[in-house]
Amino acid sequence: MYAYLVKTLIGVFSLDENRRVISFKPFSKDPSQIAMKLSEDSPSEIQQIRTEFKNFEFVSGNLKMEAFVKENLLKYAIEYSFVKNQVEFNQLLTKVNSELAKQKIKETSRRDQLVIHVNNAIEELDKSVNVFIERLREWYSFHFPEMDRMIENHETYVALIEKFGNRQNIDDKKLNHLKDRSSGMDFTEDDTNILKLFASDITKLYQLRESLLDYQSKLVKDVAPNFSAIAGDAIAAKLIAKAGGLERLSRMPSSTIQLLGSEKALFRFLKSRGRSKSPKFGLIYNHPMIQNSPRETQGKVARLLAAKLSIASRIDYYSKEYKADEMKKDLENKVKKILSSKE
Amino acid sequence: MAEMKQTKFHGVFKIDGRIATVNLVPGKKAYGEDLIKDRGVEYRIWDFWRSKPAAAIKNGLKELPLKKGMAILYLGIANGTTSSHFSDIIGKEGLIYGVEISGRPFRELLPIAEKRGNIIPILANARMPEDYENNVLSKVDLVYEDVASNDQVEILIRNCLKFLKPKGYAVIAIKSQSIDVTRNPREIYKECIKEFEKHFDIIDKVELDPYEKYHLFVVMKSKR
Repeated sequence: MYAYLVKTLIGVFSLDENRRVISFKPFSKDPSQIAMKLSEDSPSEIQQIRTEFKNFEFVSGNLKMEAFVKENLLKYAIEYSFVKNQVEFNQLLTKVNSELAKQKIKETSRRDQLVIHVNNAIEELDKSVNVFIERLREWYSFHFPEMDRMIENHETYVALIEKFGNRQNIDDKKLNHLKDRSSGMDFTEDDTNILKLFASDITKLYQLRESLLDYQSKLVKDVAPNFSAIAGDAIAAKLIAKAGGLERLSRMPSSTIQLLGSEKALFRFLKSRGRSKSPKFGLIYNHPMIQNSPRETQGKVARLLAAKLSIASRIDYYSKEYKADEMKKDLENKVKKILSSKE
Repeated sequence: MAEMKQTKFHGVFKIDGRIATVNLVPGKKAYGEDLIKDRGVEYRIWDFWRSKPAAAIKNGLKELPLKKGMAILYLGIANGTTSSHFSDIIGKEGLIYGVEISGRPFRELLPIAEKRGNIIPILANARMPEDYENNVLSKVDLVYEDVASNDQVEILIRNCLKFLKPKGYAVIAIKSQSIDVTRNPREIYKECIKEFEKHFDIIDKVELDPYEKYHLFVVMKSKR
């Protein structure tokens, strides 16, 4: 005789061919326990039924039987006093499904999402540091306006203030001849001390930026080894962040990857229906391969690069097998061909 | 002080030009909305700017087929803002199956769902109803869809065929910007409606400007 096994969230049912319940092994009533049982292929309850009823041949996965039990699940749940009424049943459903969702979220490895945060943190940090530096330059220029022009590099500018404070103390080849003839007002010790403090905090932000960059390249190599090898760590991180994760990136056509980051120009082009020029590249514009080719062929190179990148992102998402070296060589050959056919 | 008044919509009340639903779990907010007490009953203000059905009501929707005890399939439940009001209206006997593809909004959704006990969170892709048919126990009275996708019309129809009761309702917020940004929204609405009319009778439709730009809210009833 045949009997059918149906796993539900209240337990395992076995039914005969006339849809009569032969046996019911309830799960424990704890939602997280239930969620665990549901994600197991054959929980112990199924084994129990199989050993208890040796005269039946058990079949699981019968769709009609499953649908039948599912439809009557509330009735069964009350009958076997698993719950008292529908409200309790609904609450159980909610809790179990919520546990299942939690499990699912935990299982899907989402290290690529970290790339998005690091990348955005770096961009935001850049913006903030710029604002601070502008303020520092304006402020310190009251005291030593000549230095603003002489020291164009921000980090050096900040470091000088942090180290010396008052312009009288500055010891720098470029500045020594200027400091005595400066048109700036005099600063008291309090005035300079607060600026030294400000400068030292900006320096710390620069250090933070360095650490973030280091971490980002490590992370991106781990998450997308092929993709980052071809794109370069910084561009790879930007593309993953822009796409919203490696999965989404791997589902993108290469033409989309080619234009990631140039949305404004792209939609201007689409809305004008061809009256304005279509963009040829987005974030990948900064890739050395595009930077080093002549203007007329940049579009073609971008297309090739994007095509390889989309393949690489798929390898990274699905297998992570390292193939970047061959791919790079192939790409370089193709680019060479384009460049030589030009001449 | 102004008084809460019943509107023509089941379970929806109005006060001072705002609308509200009766809080299913008194004292608890779902997303930072205002709570108002009137004659011993606590109401939650339903924000026009944050929830599309509320905006549709504000813009003159004639019928919203929500009743106590209903089972609803909600595609694109996100962090549970709109569904918390649905959950108020359908009450503890009702059930909302909330499908969402992204794990991020679950951080907000899960606590709301567990508190309310009538929202079932399902992490799945609404394009593939087969993936969650085991979670949906019975056919539903209403399918509501609010997803940002260019195949949102198809997604709704596919889910209705699978999960909607005969003569059940379907409600959708059509996002013309997700379907095609380059074209005129009105044209897109027309095409969608045409597609829907193969399966549904259109009961009402209303644009959601200014609360949501380029959105059309449509209430329909299955022909089958």
